[in-house]
Amino acid sequence: MAGTGSRVWRDRAVPLALTAVLLVGLVVPLLPLLWTLSSSFKPVSDIFIYPPRLLPAAATLENYRRLFTDLPFLRWFWNTLWVSVVSTGLALFFSALAGYAFAKYEFRGKTLLFNIVLGSLLVPFAVLLIPLFVMITRIGWADSFLALIVPWVAPAYGIFLMRQYIVQAVPNELIDAGRVDGAGEFRVFWTLVLPLVRPALGALAIWNFLGVYNSFLWPLVVMSSNDNLMLPVGLAQIYGNYSREYGLVMGGAVLAAVPMVAVFIALRRQFIEGLTFGALKG
Amino acid sequence: MAVSVDERAGTGRGADRALVPPRPRSLGAWWRRHERRLAPYLFVAPFFVLFAVFMAYPVANALWLSLHEWTGLGAMEWVGWDNYGEVLRDASFHHAAANTAWYAAASLFVICPLALLLALALNSRRVAAKDLLRTGYFIPVVLSPVVIALMFTIIFDQEFGLMNAGLRGLLGIRPINWLGSPEWARLVIIIILVWRWTGYIMIYFLAGLQNIPRELYEAAQLDGAGSWRLFWNITLPLLRPVTAFVAVVVLIGASQIFEEPYILTNGGPGEATLSIANYVQREGFERLNFGYAATASFILFAFVFLVTQVQIRFFGIGREQEG
Repeated sequence: MAGTGSRVWRDRAVPLALTAVLLVGLVVPLLPLLWTLSSSFKPVSDIFIYPPRLLPAAATLENYRRLFTDLPFLRWFWNTLWVSVVSTGLALFFSALAGYAFAKYEFRGKTLLFNIVLGSLLVPFAVLLIPLFVMITRIGWADSFLALIVPWVAPAYGIFLMRQYIVQAVPNELIDAGRVDGAGEFRVFWTLVLPLVRPALGALAIWNFLGVYNSFLWPLVVMSSNDNLMLPVGLAQIYGNYSREYGLVMGGAVLAAVPMVAVFIALRRQFIEGLTFGALKG
Repeated sequence: MAVSVDERAGTGRGADRALVPPRPRSLGAWWRRHERRLAPYLFVAPFFVLFAVFMAYPVANALWLSLHEWTGLGAMEWVGWDNYGEVLRDASFHHAAANTAWYAAASLFVICPLALLLALALNSRRVAAKDLLRTGYFIPVVLSPVVIALMFTIIFDQEFGLMNAGLRGLLGIRPINWLGSPEWARLVIIIILVWRWTGYIMIYFLAGLQNIPRELYEAAQLDGAGSWRLFWNITLPLLRPVTAFVAVVVLIGASQIFEEPYILTNGGPGEATLSIANYVQREGFERLNFGYAATASFILFAFVFLVTQVQIRFFGIGREQEG
């Protein structure tokens, strides 16, 4: 009797309690988001009232109106969007190409070269900040979008991820069959290999896009004219210039976050699986 | 293959072509003959060109800059290793290094255990609503650190931020000046880091847990092992590769912390939240001490490199490096 009782306890009650605790715990990641959303619809005078109200007493769109009419918010959004798209497209191509070479060819120096790819992941960006800025200025790319794109179009983590995926997902026989049919090496890659690695490309696209869309320090130092700012730098600037107008700042934060959160919720499986493609199977 | 190309080229040129001694092969034919051997080098070339120009050269240049005094304009003045001595004696650098160490320690000893705990809970078989939970805990990861820092400005506002309002409403605690005192401000940065990274690290542990075969647990349970023994003798040892990976990721992440202190407190109050990345940016772009800033960044580099090497040795990453 006691045995069945404790089994019911273990199989039903404990998981139920655990689920409940985890659901309540969701307050921690979600409340700051909801609070930001709610504050973006409040006039400044209502943000810091006590007791706090999650639902605005007098909701207003004034903060959003000002972002679009008084500030170049749309311009910043557009900059961020196209820079993220272009650099991600190029990063996919170059990562897949190099990852394929490391996965499926034997060539002299391969181990050394691959170790350089991995080693470059250990360089903190702070080390590059000063000398890269000096160089970009010298070659005349300061305040140019080239500086935001070109240095980052062949990311080492992308190459690593693609290599890990291609090793297991692409059969050698397929490559050989392509060669027997007379296809050149690049053609084999383009027409036979790429279609097989779509899941990895998807994951890389998501994470690379996210990285560029959210990047701050490099765009902060390298872009200077107001029309050329990336969204996070623009947001920091709004905060710097209108620091007491929290509603405006929160509106900007919401608009910057909404696209990423929406994409994440829609593609959450790819987001999460993509993280562990390269890392854990290696 | 190459032969057939030559033959085809030959037939197109008329009968007398056969009498002429072999001419140098066309570029296309040469390429076809060597393609297989050269292709991998061409395929990896874009990375290595960019690596040489935008990483290897700048890192070497950082070393060169660190041996000079330079404002970014005009002539550079050679000072040898003086910058290193000065940076290492600079109280601000000590603050930045200590704060960054705090952030790294918090990441290792708060975020990692918390993430493991969440992963264990989410991995247990009968917990419901897993997709919702996983998604919810992961959401902070997709936000820009700038957006996160801005969100927390109204939560940790000194008078009626949400945190103070909550503490007052629930516990009757008087308002805390979160961003105005050194200890609280540092704690706020750490809270934000925990908020931002826990879901991310959780995913790695979750994937690691899912790779552990259930039979191992079942066999041990038959032998009468309790949950604590299972965790200690099976889960933890088998998570070792994941833990190693996570430790490296977290350390490199912590060494890069920039946005939160920059936006919330500008490194302050005083220098209580200044990170090394903040220090490098401040010396370089606000005080125009380029050589000095390069020196600090190089010290950071050497340190991160050493520590990750130790971690890699210690956990033996790379030993199971087989695709």
